[in-house]
Amino acid sequence: MENIGALAILLAFCLAIYSVIASLVGAWKKKPFLIASGERAVIAVFGLIVVATGILLYALVTSDFRYAYVAAHSNRDMPFYYKISSWWGGQEGSLLLWNFILICYALVVVLQNKKKHRAMMPYVVATLMATQVFFLTLNTFPASPFQMLAQGKNIVEVQDGNGLNPLLQYWTMLIHPPILYLGYVGFVVPFAFALGSLITRQPGDQWIFTTRRWALVTWFFQSTGVILGAGWAYAVLGWGGYWGWDPVENVSFLPWLTSTAFLHSVMMQEKKGMMKVWNMVLVASTFFLCIFGTFMTRSGIVASVHAFASSSIGTYFLVFLTLGIAFTIYMILGRLDYLKSETELESVVSRESSFLFNNLILLASCFAILWGTLFPVISEAVTGEKVTVDAPWFNRVNIPIGLFLLFLTGVGPLLAWRRASSEGLRRNFQWPFLGMLVLMAGLVAAGVHHVYALMTFGLCFFVAWTIAQEFYKGGAAIARKESMNLVRGMVELTHRNTRRYGGYLVHMGIVLMFIGFAGSAFNKDTTVEVEQGKSFHLGRYEMKVLSVNNGQTDNYVWQNAIVDVTVDGKPYATLDPERRIYSQSQQPVGAVKIHRRLNEDLYLNFAAISSEAQKPIIQAYVFPLVSWIWIGYWVLLLGTAVALVPSKMKMSYARTEVVGMAGKHEKVAK
Amino acid sequence: MMMAGLCLAQTGDMVPPEVRRVGDRLACLCGSCNNTVATCSMVGCHYTAPARARLSAMSKAGVSDEAIVDDFVKREGKKALAAPTAEGFGLAAWLATPVMALAGLGFIGWFIRRSRRPVVTASPDLGEADVAKYQQAAERELSRFDE
Repeated sequence: MENIGALAILLAFCLAIYSVIASLVGAWKKKPFLIASGERAVIAVFGLIVVATGILLYALVTSDFRYAYVAAHSNRDMPFYYKISSWWGGQEGSLLLWNFILICYALVVVLQNKKKHRAMMPYVVATLMATQVFFLTLNTFPASPFQMLAQGKNIVEVQDGNGLNPLLQYWTMLIHPPILYLGYVGFVVPFAFALGSLITRQPGDQWIFTTRRWALVTWFFQSTGVILGAGWAYAVLGWGGYWGWDPVENVSFLPWLTSTAFLHSVMMQEKKGMMKVWNMVLVASTFFLCIFGTFMTRSGIVASVHAFASSSIGTYFLVFLTLGIAFTIYMILGRLDYLKSETELESVVSRESSFLFNNLILLASCFAILWGTLFPVISEAVTGEKVTVDAPWFNRVNIPIGLFLLFLTGVGPLLAWRRASSEGLRRNFQWPFLGMLVLMAGLVAAGVHHVYALMTFGLCFFVAWTIAQEFYKGGAAIARKESMNLVRGMVELTHRNTRRYGGYLVHMGIVLMFIGFAGSAFNKDTTVEVEQGKSFHLGRYEMKVLSVNNGQTDNYVWQNAIVDVTVDGKPYATLDPERRIYSQSQQPVGAVKIHRRLNEDLYLNFAAISSEAQKPIIQAYVFPLVSWIWIGYWVLLLGTAVALVPSKMKMSYARTEVVGMAGKHEKVAK
Repeated sequence: MMMAGLCLAQTGDMVPPEVRRVGDRLACLCGSCNNTVATCSMVGCHYTAPARARLSAMSKAGVSDEAIVDDFVKREGKKALAAPTAEGFGLAAWLATPVMALAGLGFIGWFIRRSRRPVVTASPDLGEADVAKYQQAAERELSRFDE
């Protein structure tokens, strides 16, 4: 039994190699049976990986401590659900999760395209399975989750395991890694279709239409993964931050930026037949940044609180990245003639150019984050001296970029395709712009002098107005025509072009998130050592520690402080921040208590008991507007869901060209 | 307005102002966070706690902010700073992004110039003789359909 998992992985590895070879040879020699065999190998690999995963999960749930992985990442008293989440709590298991998700995606692609894209499919399967081979290599050789604990030649079992890292014993960690992986791994599918399209010189933009939903769904998973990570950091780490510019956080954000750029620029290709090379570059960049992110997390190249223990697998990643990038560049350069634009830009002030600027800004942000993350390593290599690049640098570089992006979020969608007229610009923007100026003036008068916060609030207002205006105008027109009320008109409008109006909702979600980010300019905090029965203040809150209590569960011992909060002498809340010491790891972890409100969160962390006076040390924070980040996410989720619903009216984007006043006597002025 | 009200509704206790001011330029080098000496929240952090105490003492003794930062750099090296200095190779940290963004802007400019369609204008300089000639030709062609 104990060898079956390792055997399943080894067989899956061999079959994945076979699938790549069969698909490529089948396409080359035009042998349909080989192509079909390559696809069936995908199904077999799926079965084998499911077996391996099942065995690991069974070992985790039954606390089979003969497995080194189970002993290292779980213990007997952990709740059932955390035993399941131990699957991705360590290096080997999380790589198996990667393999599991990848083969599920590959299976769906094979089943969905049994009768479609037959020329492209062998290359799509080969790309998917080549990636699978790489990850199965890691699970087969340097990072097997099925290594047994042994003494001499005998398999042994330890009494209890080390347990999962206490910081990971939180509900979002049950879903954050799988969801992030769904996003990371998912981008292999658009990449595989893009590569298949390049290799076979597919006419038109079939790969774009085929993978549009894949790209949107995986982008949604990436967004959800990133926001869940932020939510976890906020609620678990005890310092109230949701983003610390940690290298691992940063690299998880990079593919999101490029995939966002891709989702925008792909519209140029769909509607205008433009930016074909660029879209290839973006889809490939997103895929390789996903791999790069995994490499950074696991290679130990940069220090991070989130990184797995450094190991030798970094070299494997470097080889895969180098070969993959080199091949992709070779393919793109070799197919430049096939990737020529079908139409041309007509005006600098147009929707098309707004996409170009949007891409520039997203990629500038991507570059800045990557540069800041790698700069300590580069600087040490060049100058021999270590430097630090912490949050202040990232904030200083990225806030202006973020603000410009926010501005484009408002402007871009309202610019006309091809050419925006000055009358159209005035009509669309004059009131939102004036409203923004009035709001900013009002905020200054009210005492808000933080420049970036002011600009953010102003721009959020501007963008929100432009979006609302779009819904209102379209909804009102339909309501008039169809004799219905405005709300139904707006719903009808959205249903007629779900992608466009779903996109607007996503933009609205981003606006709400920016409001939350801007609130951080007004954070307050205090750390106090306070006796039972004594009070302390933070802003308008008066907090009194009523008692300190102790207790124990199977998994940890705990101590909490009951804190009574009043505002202006009136009862407001009673919070009980807790500290836990996990029995296996003996690691102390805080379980913060947050009183969430739309205007601000009151956040209490029971940080420690002072060693001399034995008094509780409480860290209290006030985080204005932070809830809007999470609300923004739900709006983003709604927008993505709407965008995935098929439109009521099929939009066809004929790539027509206005040929001007053509005639025998035209003169062409360049 | 409401936002301003919400944000300004509190005034409160903070990390001592000198720690907030100077500490934000100094990295916490504990190895388990990416915060600054001003923002590190780990109670009893083996790096930040003594760093804050030293920083406060120096500030209270009248040492300037710059001199305090220099003192940290002298002890720990440049890694004591939360962000690279804008000199030497550190300048590259600050300039690379704007340079890349400008290069991208230049590329977009080039792309737009290259791919903009030629402007097509109709020629207004037809003389009456030309018009008459073409009219005759058109009538001739049309008369063939009548036959």
